[in-house]
Amino acid sequence: MISYALTILLDGVSFGMVLFIISVGLTITMGLMRVVNLAHGSFAMAGGYIAAMMTQRGIDYHLAVAIATVAAGALGAICEVLFYRPLYRKGDLAQVLLTIGLVFVSIAAVTAVFGAFPYPVIMPSYLQQLVDIGFRTYPAYRLFVLGVGGATALILWIVIEHSLFGARLRAAVDNPRMARGVGMNVNLLFLITFVVGCGLAGLGGAIGAGMLSLEPTYALKYIVLFLVVVIVGGEGSFKGSFVAAMALGIIDTMGRYFFHDIASYMLYAAVFVLLLWRPKGLLPPKSVA
Amino acid sequence: MKRILSLLVAAALCAPASAALAETFKIGFIASYTGVFATWGPQFQHAIEAYQAIHGKSVKGPKGETIDVVLVVRDAASAGPDKAKQLAEELVLREKVNMIAGLELSPHAMAMADISKQAKIPVVIMNAATSSITRMSPYFVRTSMAVPQFVHPMGKYMVDHGVKTAYMIVSDYAPGHDVETYFGKAYEAAGGKFVAKVRSPLNNVDFSSYVEKVLQASPRPDALYIFMPAGTPSINLVKEYGARGLKAAGIKLFGSGETQQIYLKNFTDDVLGTITSNHYTEWNTNPENVQLRTQLKKMYGDKEETDIASVGAWDGIKLIYQALAALGAKADGLKYVEFMASGKTIDSPRGRFMIDPKERDIVQDINIREVRKVNGQLTNVDIAKVPMVRDPWKADHPMK
Repeated sequence: MISYALTILLDGVSFGMVLFIISVGLTITMGLMRVVNLAHGSFAMAGGYIAAMMTQRGIDYHLAVAIATVAAGALGAICEVLFYRPLYRKGDLAQVLLTIGLVFVSIAAVTAVFGAFPYPVIMPSYLQQLVDIGFRTYPAYRLFVLGVGGATALILWIVIEHSLFGARLRAAVDNPRMARGVGMNVNLLFLITFVVGCGLAGLGGAIGAGMLSLEPTYALKYIVLFLVVVIVGGEGSFKGSFVAAMALGIIDTMGRYFFHDIASYMLYAAVFVLLLWRPKGLLPPKSVA
Repeated sequence: MKRILSLLVAAALCAPASAALAETFKIGFIASYTGVFATWGPQFQHAIEAYQAIHGKSVKGPKGETIDVVLVVRDAASAGPDKAKQLAEELVLREKVNMIAGLELSPHAMAMADISKQAKIPVVIMNAATSSITRMSPYFVRTSMAVPQFVHPMGKYMVDHGVKTAYMIVSDYAPGHDVETYFGKAYEAAGGKFVAKVRSPLNNVDFSSYVEKVLQASPRPDALYIFMPAGTPSINLVKEYGARGLKAAGIKLFGSGETQQIYLKNFTDDVLGTITSNHYTEWNTNPENVQLRTQLKKMYGDKEETDIASVGAWDGIKLIYQALAALGAKADGLKYVEFMASGKTIDSPRGRFMIDPKERDIVQDINIREVRKVNGQLTNVDIAKVPMVRDPWKADHPMK
């Protein structure tokens, strides 16, 4: 029984880790820049496809994931300057329209280049094994995702909570006007954050491809999940998005174990209840709390 | 609305036909080129173009006249049936098409019923696989398959080959329910027993928990039988089967369309030994299949792969060509239908098929295939054949 519970926990947390890696960039950009970036899934998809393309051509998986992360970040930088910067002072509607437009462009572009069939990332053989973890054998891939997700969360936590850059970031999220007032280069802060967020999305898209398969509609299909993580966690809250991703990963997995007939509603029912209880998210930043 | 439509259709039919030297036969082609089902349009169209490249873009009619076959393509955009219907109306009223073809989705095919009856034009369904469709209009002819048709022969095969207990996971949508019923009945009738029958939500992509429950099930089943919509759900479920060590635990994997060639590159060698039932095995050596594949690769490059869409479209256009050669470009809609649904056995890339005159639905061999490695590549190899299978749904639902 305990091994059963641990299995559910591992499954849920590894799924949650993928959600976290992809969504954390979105929560920071939404919290910091107040941009409703519906195109966030497109950056994750870009990372995934780049990694898939390279691994299919025989390039080392780890190198491919690293390049995909950097490339998604670079793509983010270009988009930030070209499309997002003019949007910061526009209303929500303009942001939604432009970013959903970007989603459609990315879907069409990916279909044109890679075709509409699912496109696999080829993983090294050690990730395709089962490993003995004491009470059972467990897929190595999920442990790998757990490890990468945990490491990412740790690094982000150190940077955001314990560095000057992090302090500035938190300050800008909590009170953007004041941050400008004390002379912070908010434009640069935005750019760096956006690029890192997109890079992380690319990383999540690449290593998460074993769970969220790559296909052209990826950008549209999973954006709801990413937005749910952001909203439940509290817009702009790094810790909140971590807690929310884990909670939703576990709730979703448990739903499928125990109530498979209604599993597809479980997640949304949970979101509904959580938001009734904490309308501003689980751990909202001070600016919205 | 309906009255206006029928008036317009009547007006369209009364309009004087243009008297050109070479006659033109227009086929309104409706399939998805964008959205979730974007692979279908190109797969259909490439097979039709391959057929036309071999047999020419025109047909010699019964009086020796030349009939140019023109495809008028419309993108159904993976949208709802209303969109497909609107495209069909436009094709009939403005383009004055003589026939409609394509249709990968059942709701789209169903949306053709009214308009085909009003305009009296045949509809050649090249995929949509819900059993009841062909009953909805006397103008429907289907060249693909019906879901119960290709899943139920597996029931007996499994029991005959020592699979006494099975765990079934189907996706929670209409075709999944059909599989649950018709594979379920066939398997139990042959003496097999289900450890569990489970439905997973249609949009589910993470199958870890479902597969884990198969592993924990008691008694441990001999096999896992699955039915998922092609694409991400089926790929993820098969992957998870490998990743969770079910194969190592001695649970065999059975299914139907999950191991199509176009999806096999997504899998590791864990998929070896998976046995599926289907009407089309991509690398079979039937002369027409070799012809289709060679032509496709010549026209669209080496990476072009055939699938059930290709074979449905190839056989569809073949029937249309034969009907035009026999009846010319100006025959009555029902005459074409009668010709195509003649009950005659016809060669096909899949092997052979016939269109049943009463149901206007396809009857064909169903192949039992195993995933093996051929020249270092994963592929399906036929290991058994069930001859000329009819859709069992029809027998359960006699025509009134």
